[in-house]
Amino acid sequence: MDRQVDVVVVGGGSTGCGVVRDLARRGLDTVLVEKGNLTHGTTGRMHGLLHSGGRYAVSDQKSAKECIEENRVLRDIAAHCVEETGGLFVKRPEDSEEYFQEKLEGCKACDIPVEVIGGEEARRREPYLARDVEKAIALPDGAVDPFRLCVSNAADAREHGARVETHAPVTDVLVEDGEIVGVEIEHETGPGKRVHHEPGTTEEIRARHVVNATGAWAGNVGEMAGVDVEVRPSKGVMTVMNTRQVDTVVNRCRPKGDADIIVPHETACILGTTDEEVDDPEDYPEEDWEVDLMIETLSELVPALEDARTLRSFWGVRPLYEPPGTGTEDPTDITRDYFLLDHGDRDDLPGMTTIVGGKLTTYRMMAESISDHVCETLGHEATCDTADAPLPGSESEARMEELMDEFGLRSPVARRSGQRLGSRADEVLDEYDPNPIVCNCESVTRAEVQDAIGDAGSDLNAVRLRTRASMGNCQGGFCTHRIASELAQDYPEPVVRDAEDELYQERWKGQRHALWGEQLSQAMLNHMLHATTMNRDGDPANLDGEVDFGAFDAGADAPGAGGSGGETGTAAADGGRANDDAATDGGRADDDAATDGGRADDDAATDGGRADDDAATDGGRADDDAATDGGR
Amino acid sequence: MTRHTEDDGDAGDSNETTESSGGCGCGEPAPGVPEAGRDEQPSTFVPDGGEIPEEEMTADSEDGRAGEDRAATDGGVESASGGAESATGGTDSAELDPDAYDPVDVFPGGDLDLREGADSCYKCTSCDTSCPVAEVDDEFPGPKFQGPEQWRLKRKEDHDIDESITSCSNCMRCDDACPSSVPLSQMHNEARGQYVERQMEKLSVEYIRNRILANYRTSASLASMFPRTASFAMNFGPARWAMEKVMGIPKERDFPEFATETFREWWKARGGAKVENPDKRVAYFHGCYSNYNTPEVGKAMVRVYEHFGYEVMVPPQKCSGTPMFANGMLKDARRHAETNIENLVEAIGEGADVIASCTSCSMSLRQEYPELFDLHGIEDVAEHTFEALEYLRIHEDLEGELEAAGGLDDERAFAYHAPCHARNQGLSRQAVETFRDVDGVKMEDVGDSCSGISGTYGWKEEKYEKSMEIGEEMFEHMEDAEGEVGMTECPTCAMQMEHGTGYEIEHPLQLLEDTLGA
Repeated sequence: MDRQVDVVVVGGGSTGCGVVRDLARRGLDTVLVEKGNLTHGTTGRMHGLLHSGGRYAVSDQKSAKECIEENRVLRDIAAHCVEETGGLFVKRPEDSEEYFQEKLEGCKACDIPVEVIGGEEARRREPYLARDVEKAIALPDGAVDPFRLCVSNAADAREHGARVETHAPVTDVLVEDGEIVGVEIEHETGPGKRVHHEPGTTEEIRARHVVNATGAWAGNVGEMAGVDVEVRPSKGVMTVMNTRQVDTVVNRCRPKGDADIIVPHETACILGTTDEEVDDPEDYPEEDWEVDLMIETLSELVPALEDARTLRSFWGVRPLYEPPGTGTEDPTDITRDYFLLDHGDRDDLPGMTTIVGGKLTTYRMMAESISDHVCETLGHEATCDTADAPLPGSESEARMEELMDEFGLRSPVARRSGQRLGSRADEVLDEYDPNPIVCNCESVTRAEVQDAIGDAGSDLNAVRLRTRASMGNCQGGFCTHRIASELAQDYPEPVVRDAEDELYQERWKGQRHALWGEQLSQAMLNHMLHATTMNRDGDPANLDGEVDFGAFDAGADAPGAGGSGGETGTAAADGGRANDDAATDGGRADDDAATDGGRADDDAATDGGRADDDAATDGGRADDDAATDGGR
Repeated sequence: MTRHTEDDGDAGDSNETTESSGGCGCGEPAPGVPEAGRDEQPSTFVPDGGEIPEEEMTADSEDGRAGEDRAATDGGVESASGGAESATGGTDSAELDPDAYDPVDVFPGGDLDLREGADSCYKCTSCDTSCPVAEVDDEFPGPKFQGPEQWRLKRKEDHDIDESITSCSNCMRCDDACPSSVPLSQMHNEARGQYVERQMEKLSVEYIRNRILANYRTSASLASMFPRTASFAMNFGPARWAMEKVMGIPKERDFPEFATETFREWWKARGGAKVENPDKRVAYFHGCYSNYNTPEVGKAMVRVYEHFGYEVMVPPQKCSGTPMFANGMLKDARRHAETNIENLVEAIGEGADVIASCTSCSMSLRQEYPELFDLHGIEDVAEHTFEALEYLRIHEDLEGELEAAGGLDDERAFAYHAPCHARNQGLSRQAVETFRDVDGVKMEDVGDSCSGISGTYGWKEEKYEKSMEIGEEMFEHMEDAEGEVGMTECPTCAMQMEHGTGYEIEHPLQLLEDTLGA
């Protein structure tokens, strides 16, 4: 079991995936371990902005220069993950002219191509921009799909001999003789794909070097090794709109602030964000005011947002880091630069390097610099080619016409498949005929879902990230079961059910923050459909033990129970209802009386009374439901 | 900022249309059909489109003057020798208020951005289950895909529309079925317009055939110069065989007969309105079919309304656009709309409400016009438009009048079919309710299925079989009904009813005329 590899990379976000790809391509024997899915942490929880550098052009020109450089690289090597939307920094009347000029000069100083356009022109490009937007700086911001980016990096690494292990949290960092020699991981139970090991087992992976690329979690891994890594996790909310109100990245041109960016992402728009320091990257409050703030503030730029449908909100934590002793108070002031911490130099504990800070746009550059460092440490000579070698899927453009003709796809389906799969489209779509659509909102066909299952196993959230299936306006209401049934051929029933549950719950998690207006109606419709057609409000197959169907009637001995007497059955149902009503009313009446009594006495008594009352009413209702169902 | 409207070559462009569409088998645009690229103008107003060329201004002002010369009530009969109607210049959005900002106004290229309409869709699929085409056509993905799904998947640069949009018959039942007010037919119309504009080969037989079908008014106005010859020629066996082979017009269908005297000729000969009443005025939008093919419907409308003391105005008018929407010919529809809106706005200004006897015409003026075009006064027209029977039921004591009139001496029974477009306006029961207590009239509703013809849909060879399959239920119910005469408000439903059963078909206004003794 104790195999020695060259490098183990901890963390399957953009940095980790970038590092494992880079090292694998340089010929090192590398393993990537990730505790959840790829992108499980911060990478999967960002707004998908491919920075032009404009955002940092005033405050942090070093980062800005790196951004524009890497922006150009990614358009090339990750074409199928990037949408070249272009970006605008828009100025409203109350925003400072001085800052606008500063921004403009900053961009020029960083070699970011810019163009100043008037309000009219800005609205011609983006008709939903507010009427009082005065002018804007146009620059090459873009949108990037972080899931596709990471998956492609991991796929390329695998092609170059790396091993990628998901759902495998690090449980210990192995330290021997003052040196880090590997990590211990646990193979978790769950629906993920586990190629190498049985769920529940642990494994020691011994390596000549460990790369800690766990971002906001870097401190936790550091702790296992006995070193301090002072990451300052800072949360930010992202709110997802149902449609694209803008097709260009729209930034507010003012100094740092919350809620100042709208990113068109795939079929949606993502509004961002807040910046609040939190103690624990796993456990922090997701607060209503953050969502309200997004919609209210960004409506100043795009008024249509106010009444537009919101699909969900999610939060991410930035892995901000500053060298010990800097002592910055406000998290928005902490640098977005990345830091490479060699624990040999820093803590006299060789064998591990931690990388913190940074941003998705510059992930490749960070990966290159850490890979250089690792190679130097290991005395391995190889050059980096990740800036030139396209990722799998980006070798060439998908050919729309052929997808439509060859695979009989309708044009929006072919277009979306082509955008997601890039040059892999032919190979993926060729597998299935007929190839029905599994997720209608996002136009995902069976072939694409099966391709993702082939890659990610029974983890339907990983399938979702690869395909966008269930990420549209019904949020999985009409397709989670269809996606799950795609597993049924190869996986046993309990695995399929768990996978379906997990996906459905994940969809619910974000939707909870959008329960008003249209999405509330959608959630109710989803609930009713799932309850009434699939028994998902109490599926007998998911209950512990046998269902006592007899209990739903008056019992096996009651007249008409289980028999053929339709008349009797109807009577029983009516009777059940009548009883039920009575019980509920009775409960309510008691309750009222108790409350009144309580009020007469004192407040404490009132509360007590209310509690009783609720319990009584609920009890009555529960009886009622059971009786009615039984009758039916 | 006024869009110039070109003469649409209605009459006078050529006398050969009727003959040549049967005989000439060439792939060139048929005479009478505007050539491709002749009217390359965005269908929607674009404010930042730059300066207006001098000549357009001139043309417009001339049009405007010519329009003033003609009072709305004067009958506005076009002379058969090719004098096109005068008022063709639309005065759209000249006074566009910069504060009344609407994103539609500035969307590049004049296309509407309807992505936000997808916000209302819950994917419940009620639209798909109500779609008569999806029921018989497995290749048709249905209104949910055509509408909210396809729009939501669009990006700004994506201009390809799936070809299946051309299979939508524009019956608009999906609008009626949607519990959440998704603008389905608007999405379909806009997508179809974009498809035809950008993706359809302008020299293809299909395009030319559709253009001819959509511009029925053009053919009809020519045909009615020689109505008898045209009626014969259009249904002449060899000619029909050739039309199917060359143009894809199914030979099974009989072309409607052209009236020897159009409604407008009759109206002029009659001397216009017989009743003058500044307090009760209606402007009659007769549409093409009542004018060229069934003037008896128009005459019934005039007599019935005059019976109730209305002053009937017959403003100059062109096609309502229904067949053009269904074929994605939004530019044609817009050009005709400019004339219609200008003249109807004028009539409304003189105190009239707009009355249509065709439910598709009223549907178009009420719903499609304001959804698709940004013309000055278009909302006013939409608000003031009513179907003929609907208006009387609102404003007159129709029941009392009918009772007083005493019914019919000889009993007559009708098999009534409610057109889909009537259903969308909430009018599907009006004929049955109006006549159910009238002595001597038996009115039976043949159910809520679609007739299957949907205007021009059933006139396409490749859609003929589907069209008849959709109509099957209605045919059966008609056969079962007691009456041997069909009744409906929609001219093309009437064609289909006649085609499927051999029954004679009447319009409720004709029965109303009889029962009122108007």
